[in-house]
Amino acid sequence: MAFKDRVVPTIRIGDALLVPIQIDLDDKTVERLQTQLLEEIQEHRVRAVILDVRMVEVIDSYISYTLSETAAMAHLMGCRTVICGIQPPVALTLAQMGIELQGFLVARDLEHAMGLVY
Amino acid sequence: MDNNQVEMLVEELEVGNKHEEKLWRKLLLGVASGATGNDLRETIREPLFGLLHELGETALGAKLKLVIERTPTFPTAELLPLILELCGELRHDSEQAVRGLERMLSELATPIVRIWAEVLLVPLIGGLDSDRAQGMAERLLERVSTTRAKVVVVDVTGVPTIDTAAGGFLIETFSAVKLLGAEVILTGLKPEIAHTLVKLGIDFRMVAIARDLEDALRQAIAMIEEERSRQRKTAWVRGSNFPSEGGEHDGI
Amino acid sequence: MDGKLRELLDISENDFDVVVRITREEDIAIARQMAKQLAQELGFSLADVTKVATAVSELARNIYRYAQTGKIMIRKRLEESGGPTIQVVAADRGPGIESVDRVLARGYTTHERSLGIGLPGVRRLMDFCEIASKVGTGTVVRVEKRRRKF
Ligand SMILES: Nc1ncnc2c1ncn2[C@@H]1O[C@H](COP(=O)(O)OP(=O)(O)OP(=O)(O)O)[C@@H](O)[C@H]1O
Ligand SMILES: [Mg+2]
Repeated sequence: MAFKDRVVPTIRIGDALLVPIQIDLDDKTVERLQTQLLEEIQEHRVRAVILDVRMVEVIDSYISYTLSETAAMAHLMGCRTVICGIQPPVALTLAQMGIELQGFLVARDLEHAMGLVY
Repeated sequence: MDNNQVEMLVEELEVGNKHEEKLWRKLLLGVASGATGNDLRETIREPLFGLLHELGETALGAKLKLVIERTPTFPTAELLPLILELCGELRHDSEQAVRGLERMLSELATPIVRIWAEVLLVPLIGGLDSDRAQGMAERLLERVSTTRAKVVVVDVTGVPTIDTAAGGFLIETFSAVKLLGAEVILTGLKPEIAHTLVKLGIDFRMVAIARDLEDALRQAIAMIEEERSRQRKTAWVRGSNFPSEGGEHDGI
Repeated sequence: MDGKLRELLDISENDFDVVVRITREEDIAIARQMAKQLAQELGFSLADVTKVATAVSELARNIYRYAQTGKIMIRKRLEESGGPTIQVVAADRGPGIESVDRVLARGYTTHERSLGIGLPGVRRLMDFCEIASKVGTGTVVRVEKRRRKF
């Protein structure tokens, strides 16, 4: 995939694709992010996508829907999705809203996430 | 008003100690200097605040009354807004202090203890009323995050009853902990509480349940062991896929 | 209900600390950012700041999605009896909501890429939540959250 088409820079670690999310996700970027990830999964034949959300300060119902959708797509390509680095205030907010991050494995940090890849 | 009159007034005020005496002298000399407006406010602000702190509103009021009676030129009108302002500041300060104390009390009521490497214990005590409970949940999540705890043991032995609201709060807190990637073990459920919970349709399915603390700790250690062995396996798989990286990950 | 909606739609912008007009998707992030700032100024805990910002994000997105344009108004209230409080009004003259009870139930949505948990979520995140709406007239959602004592 051409560098300019990427919404986020990704890093390959072993059999996993690490995706640090640092941008504000709006309708347009989310769609491009999904396209980019699916292409990279295909291209690198990774076993898992690790979404690193350490920098994300707000996850609302729309973003959580989009993330779950991305996980479902990855699943259909034979790939796991691990979400890692959810911040405590974000976790409390999601829990109070009753949002479940369906289709995700949850990791404390990168090391934990790598342990969930296989 | 000259310096002599100031000294006489200070004497007449029957001040309790040297510190108070110093404050009165500073205040009265400020007034005697003949300054007005902002200058006056700036000079007497500090001694006035000190006196308010020292004496309280009532005693200060009585003494000021005396000063005003003895000093016909006393700028009462200029002083009044300043005094009101200072009272407000003082109230704000004490409210802050009370808030700090309340927070400390609620923290004392719910300690979070590290009982094993990577295992935290939260013994919940008393009712799970909403403000205190929310504060506890926030502190717990911060601790889990900063200590990178793998397991949180929640002991509800000290909780008398769990109603729908308290049950909902516990479920929320457990989900939040799990979103950080840690596991939850719940222990200390009394038969009466278990009975109510079933009636309310609360099953705590998302967490492990332990009979007692000992059982909880055993389960926690098993969880940690399992994660370790999984990590070892990962390292091995990655090691065989990427020989160059193998050395780093195989060493256990 | 109709009177209440009119009253809320006509509420004066001057009574608020911040008014964010929602016309583009970027405005959702702006509204969220403003809410966050005011909650911080009131001394809310970090978790409560995030809850307020998330609720405003939901309300702003609903406006953008279902009414296209509208506004988010936010104010700080220091002298409320329950303690310092943040109040948010999300108002639009869009299509309106047929049944308020129904949209407050989890899982109800008319949007295809949605979970239908926005409004029920907002209600749980905030201390107070009131919806006034009429088909063809518009929708006003009024929410507030007070600073916790502990
Ligand atoms: N401002 C509005 N004007 C008109 N209809 C609205 C408005 N806000 C919400 N609705 C209606 O209420 C429904 C429920 O809203 P809610 O925010 O709870 O869920 P959603 O927007 O459908 O999905 P989600 O917020 O989970 O992404 C919407 O699908 C829409 O039909
Ligand atoms: Mg919505």
